[in-house]
Amino acid sequence: MERRFRCTGCGKCCQGRLPLSVPDALAHADRFPLFVLWAPVRPGGRSYDLTRQLGVTLDLKKKKQAALRVAILSYVPSGMKCPALQDDGLCAVHDAKPLRCRAMPLSGARAEDDQDDLLLPRAGWECDVGEDAPVVYRDKTVVARGDYEAEREQLIKDAAILRPFATMMLQAAPQIRMDVEKMASRPMGGHVITDTAHLIQHLAGVDAFHFAAKQLPVMEAFAARTAGVAELAKEHKRYADSAAHWRRVLGG
Amino acid sequence: MAANPCPCNSGKTFEDCCAPLLGGQARAQTAEALMRARFTAHVREDFDFVAATHAAAEKDSYNKSAAEAQAKTLTWTRLEILETEAGGPDDAAGTVTFAAHFTQNGQSMVHREKSEFVREDGEWVYVDGEINPRSAPVRVDKVGRNDPCPCGSGKKYKKCCGA
Repeated sequence: MERRFRCTGCGKCCQGRLPLSVPDALAHADRFPLFVLWAPVRPGGRSYDLTRQLGVTLDLKKKKQAALRVAILSYVPSGMKCPALQDDGLCAVHDAKPLRCRAMPLSGARAEDDQDDLLLPRAGWECDVGEDAPVVYRDKTVVARGDYEAEREQLIKDAAILRPFATMMLQAAPQIRMDVEKMASRPMGGHVITDTAHLIQHLAGVDAFHFAAKQLPVMEAFAARTAGVAELAKEHKRYADSAAHWRRVLGG
Repeated sequence: MAANPCPCNSGKTFEDCCAPLLGGQARAQTAEALMRARFTAHVREDFDFVAATHAAAEKDSYNKSAAEAQAKTLTWTRLEILETEAGGPDDAAGTVTFAAHFTQNGQSMVHREKSEFVREDGEWVYVDGEINPRSAPVRVDKVGRNDPCPCGSGKKYKKCCGA
């Protein structure tokens, strides 16, 4: 089984939520509205073992377990284009773009033998998957390895920060634990999104006030873009709450 | 009430309690004294003291700016020491379980933690803590019907309280 892929630069995948590595999130904190994604994977679910390795293991009721993926997220509403996507369909930060974008459509957060579905272009995408496009995936093995491996390596490094952070939050914030456990026990799954206020404490060497100064205008801009849109009320509240937090940090 | 009560709620004045530790004129004799001083340092936003009283292995991971940023968003109101284990003048290690009360966004909240302290070069330092620690399980001893009654009457349980 072979999968072919060549990016045509259509920009169609440059929308909605984007999980970011820790360095990418920090490098683009003046661009993306950053939140934390908590996504449980049940045993037998997609890339369960890898998710446990990169994230944490949740102990659920009745001696059940689930893997919990923890990632920083550029939280852009579904269908809303990436803040770095220009009107000409190209990336404004192409040379400095996140590892997640470079590895597309492969994912370093998924096991190597679990990439197949990612290589089927979604409706409306203009990826070249024809005979002329290079083979990128063959017999459950990634052929074009560079960006895929780079993303995986970074996720392994990030785990050293995100795992203790997640363990601490699950202890300290019973509400997050309850919400995550609820999602883990739902047959249709689900995820939880929180702000990044507590994550900063786990990022040694990151100046919290610089981070606040970068995030405040981004959150304000997204709050303004989502204001008054009924179906984006939840997103709007998250941006507004986060903006209020960073404003307090900055003493405004 | 003391004229300048210590933020750690010891009932003493700040000058007679945490001030000499924060100022470097005195050392904490016990783990609890350091715990109290670190709370007071949070109240007074003296994060250099907080940073300086971390164990060597933890110093690099402490993000002082994040603590300063957090301090802008909340107000510490009260400290309760719930339990201490060892951590005395002759001990090399100890734990202090506490509840630190604060208000944030108009809400009253509590940070409960069982903190671990050790001595490094004779000085107490903070290693880390378990947040919202689980208390020891309550043990219930079963009393058989023919066992002596736990009320101390000397009768069988079934002839006494268990009747």
